[in-house]
Amino acid sequence: MTSSTRTSISALPRGHEFPASTFTLSPGDVDAYLRAIGDRGDYGPVIPPLAAVALGLNALQEHLSLPKGSLHTGQEVEHERAASGGETLTLTGRVAQRSERQGFVISVIEFEIAAVAGVAVRARTTIMAPAGAA
Amino acid sequence: MATVERTITQAQIDGYAEASGDHNPIHVDPAFAATTMFGGTIAHGMLVLALIGEAMHEAEGERWLTSGRLKVRFKAPTRPGDTVVATATAVKETDDAIDYAVQCARADGEILIEGRASVGLGGAGR
Repeated sequence: MTSSTRTSISALPRGHEFPASTFTLSPGDVDAYLRAIGDRGDYGPVIPPLAAVALGLNALQEHLSLPKGSLHTGQEVEHERAASGGETLTLTGRVAQRSERQGFVISVIEFEIAAVAGVAVRARTTIMAPAGAA
Repeated sequence: MATVERTITQAQIDGYAEASGDHNPIHVDPAFAATTMFGGTIAHGMLVLALIGEAMHEAEGERWLTSGRLKVRFKAPTRPGDTVVATATAVKETDDAIDYAVQCARADGEILIEGRASVGLGGAGR
């Protein structure tokens, strides 16, 4: 992750498209996620969709930075098909909405995470970030 | 109704930051967090939302993993030491889907996350 290629989310205009990113969640990554949230459920080889979203948001941070004081205020997720640990996933995303209110920029990031068989998860994440912050 | 209850600790928040790569100081830097409107660290929204995912998985199993839908708002912060109860309550069923009201609430009743979830039935009902 190179900070020079990252732009503050509050500076990104509506319609901005992020370059596609590929990433792999190994079964070990999924286990680490499940341990961290304290979920002892049996998911077999499947990546829990919210794990894909959480780790996809991390992949997006290759392209954007979140200023100190940023807050995650809303989340939508649609599960289209199960993806398995170890599959190569491709993330594409864009800034779908942008507005300013009381010194904060409110951005809605839409993104899809696709496996070889097609889109696994679609998500919309709402983030409130201090306006003008780097 | 499916229910998941958990007490969120700073150690769990720190562990989630490592697992997710989200090291926003509002979650992991007590000195910085003390200067914000929250007065201290708060849990990642996705960490708390995961309890709703767990409740929906408990209620619907594989259907949740392959056809789940979720739309929530984060209404209040979760702080270290808070005991959170996540609930998923079926509110409507058709041949196409089962709709759930979902929420995470603190022990004192304050709603932390609230919204709707559903699973698809493909027109065949249960």
